[in-house]
Amino acid sequence: MKRRVKKIILFILIIIVSINAVGCWDSRELNALGIAVVIGFDVEGDKIKVTVEVIKPVPAQSGSEPSSSNVVKYVQSTGDSLFEAIRNVTLKFDRKIFLSHNKVFIFGEEFAKKGIIGHMDVVQRDHEFRESGHLVVAKGSRAEDVMGISSGIRDIPGEYIEDLIKNQPSMSKSVKINVNEFLKYYYDIGRQPVMGVIQKKDKKSMGKSNNKNKKEEELLYEGLAIFKKDRLIGFLDGDETKSFNFIEGEVKGGLIEFPTPMLYRSISSATKKVQNFESLVSPEVENLTVIEILRSRAKNDIEIQDEKVILKTKVDIKGMLGEETADIDTAEEEIISVLNKSCSNKVKKGIETTIEKIQHEYRVDIFGFGSLFHRKYPKDWAKVKNNWNEIFSKAEVQVEVEADIVRTGLINTPSSKVKGK
Amino acid sequence: MNLLAFASIDENKNALLENFRNTSDLILYDFVTDNNIKVLLCYIDNFIDRNTLDRDVIEPIVTKLENVKDIKKVLYVSSIKELNDFNEIIDFILYGSVAIFLEGMNNAFVFDLKSWEKRSIEEPPSEGVIRGPKEGFVEDIDVNRVLIRKKIKKSSLVFEDYKLGRITETKISICYIDGIANERVLDEVKDRILHIDTDSILDSGYVEQFIEDSPKSIFSTIGDTQKPDVVAGRLLEGRVAVLCDGSPHVLTIPQLFIENIQASEDYYNRPFLASFFRFIRSFSLFISIILPGFYVALQTFHQEMIPTVLLITMAGAREGVPLPAVLEALIMTLALEVIKESGIRLPRAIGSAVSIVGALVLGQAAVQAGIISAPMVMVIAVTAIGEFTVPSLSEAITIYRIILILLGGFMGLYGITCGLTIMIIHLLSLKSFGIDYASPISPLNKEGLKDFVIRFPLRSMKKRPKEIENKNIIRRGDIGKK
Repeated sequence: MKRRVKKIILFILIIIVSINAVGCWDSRELNALGIAVVIGFDVEGDKIKVTVEVIKPVPAQSGSEPSSSNVVKYVQSTGDSLFEAIRNVTLKFDRKIFLSHNKVFIFGEEFAKKGIIGHMDVVQRDHEFRESGHLVVAKGSRAEDVMGISSGIRDIPGEYIEDLIKNQPSMSKSVKINVNEFLKYYYDIGRQPVMGVIQKKDKKSMGKSNNKNKKEEELLYEGLAIFKKDRLIGFLDGDETKSFNFIEGEVKGGLIEFPTPMLYRSISSATKKVQNFESLVSPEVENLTVIEILRSRAKNDIEIQDEKVILKTKVDIKGMLGEETADIDTAEEEIISVLNKSCSNKVKKGIETTIEKIQHEYRVDIFGFGSLFHRKYPKDWAKVKNNWNEIFSKAEVQVEVEADIVRTGLINTPSSKVKGK
Repeated sequence: MNLLAFASIDENKNALLENFRNTSDLILYDFVTDNNIKVLLCYIDNFIDRNTLDRDVIEPIVTKLENVKDIKKVLYVSSIKELNDFNEIIDFILYGSVAIFLEGMNNAFVFDLKSWEKRSIEEPPSEGVIRGPKEGFVEDIDVNRVLIRKKIKKSSLVFEDYKLGRITETKISICYIDGIANERVLDEVKDRILHIDTDSILDSGYVEQFIEDSPKSIFSTIGDTQKPDVVAGRLLEGRVAVLCDGSPHVLTIPQLFIENIQASEDYYNRPFLASFFRFIRSFSLFISIILPGFYVALQTFHQEMIPTVLLITMAGAREGVPLPAVLEALIMTLALEVIKESGIRLPRAIGSAVSIVGALVLGQAAVQAGIISAPMVMVIAVTAIGEFTVPSLSEAITIYRIILILLGGFMGLYGITCGLTIMIIHLLSLKSFGIDYASPISPLNKEGLKDFVIRFPLRSMKKRPKEIENKNIIRRGDIGKK
């Protein structure tokens, strides 16, 4: 009996000790955390300045809508290293910054130009940071300047930025790059990394506003930042970014806009409609055709011919007629094939000028042709890899685009078509 | 010492009075017949049917009895026994028999006339069904036997009676179908029942606790039901039932874990609905065990696992709540148990008032006062509702839920994983009368899986569950091949 009691006491002791020894040490109550959603990095003298956007939890009470100024708090601090700067926040802020829900890292332009790779170490090493956080450069401004703007439905500015980034597929004029992808490209010797770009724009104050003089601002997420290794060297605009996305095969949506080809007349002349048609449309008016991209695919290749490097890219686009301002019969297959051709030409031209711009202006391979080279000519790669960017910028480019309009929308004839003639 | 009945009526009368300690409910009625035979009737007041006694026993004896030897000829009762042993006679009297002593006869004539107040057969409130028979067992073992016999009209359905409890002398009946029941289980049941040594058996729960395999486990390895159709179904699967006089709960042995999520209705409904409800039951079983612990663990250790929007809502709800999440969960769970318990104990009329007060105080006031966060109230409410879909596991769920809240609050998901692992190991190691508790999952058994979370059509369930090993395994012939 005594032995049994001893055994039971021992058992209880083991449980108490083991729970005390291993439990609780890393427990954090929710109301002791400052949930960070956006972090901005800037240069402050020779120090790093960190701006953190922290969510202020508001008890959900039905009826009283929390005002947008109340949902977040901002806190800034400086330090010699990134980690120190972030930790210094606790000197001024009552809650420990919780970084696991951080969605966006914003780099001030100046900060990005100085090189960021050294600071990515803590992002990878610390267990709280997420590698799915998006990386964004604030073009022409400091990171702290673009933070705190919420012009959308979402009250929390961080969520507003995140949703802008998530909107990327609807126009394809920007890139979505997270920590993981950035590092993947950075470590790939055959390509240079890119990053999304965010800009601050003025906005006309509309509707009833308490303060008419108060300037409203909004954010624009468009374009792409070019990096050479870890240093920012330049930007592409929205249309160039779309061309970049075409080469990458990353276009999941978006529009292609081009002037409706004049060629239709020769085709139309085969039909009876010719005369009426010509009299209605004056050649000076430039009509537009807009194609909505349904999906696109790219196949890139590289080839060495007579010691010369040729970059090849073949883009397949499936699209849908989105808008047609000219008076043409979109139900006709031949007209569609003409549209297909001019659509392809438009995209082709865009891709060619973009590659050319990068080859001559920035001289870095952000497309990853180097990796293709490595895969296809592994033996030659050893010779070229150290000056691949030079070889890339001198390489010949062959672009092939095949667009295919597979749907024409709900109506067969454009609105401008004169009916009954 | 076996006391024998005397030839003299007075001596018998004295012996009976002495044996019953002059108890007031013992009726001793002596009279003299027309033919001058002295007769003594003995029974317990209100245990027997007086009208029948007067009409079919006393009247013929008084008017027709000529010779003591001819008593069987004049009595209009079906089961009449001639007994000599006094203790045996007393036993029969205590079971609602009437004993007749005749002057000059060494034996007593005993016949069954029992008629006492019983509850009528009604639907058991804890096992209600929409489709299927609604009758339930009552407290009387004879009625219960009839209810089972009515379901299985076969001569191989056997009842074996035992008397347990040195003072209560409760009648226990083991019921099985010869040729289908697993004999090893049957022998084990008989053996264990014979070894019960106690002075009282007031409910089948006593029997259950004396014969179960693992008294220390929080999982019950003996099933109980209040419905004859459930017992019949289990007997037909090769199980053994134990009826206990005075209890409307009939035990079925062996019990497997999966039986907790099986309901009799599953077999009466078509398989689609039945399988869906089984899935719902398994899901709510899972939810009601782990959800509060999991929620506490996420809140105190793994905030990164919660989707951001949900986290913001949760953080908002927790803002200003003074208690740590573990305490919050514990308080709410305990409050829930208090409400449940008081709802059962209180008189019906007050019971509903308690639930209203409980719902208001816990649900609304606690949140508005800022003592408990609203999501926690929801989590506890969900677990409480989930628990009722598997009422037979309610004991294990309640205890394990609290253990998991503590583990989750102290050690996070690590603790929850440990807790669940220990629980599963324990489940796998349990046995019910030699049958693995976790079958048909472990050991895996193809035939048994047909009656698992997905209930196969009756047409395809051709064999009895193999986990309750039985020789006579074929349940139905192959119609398709005819």
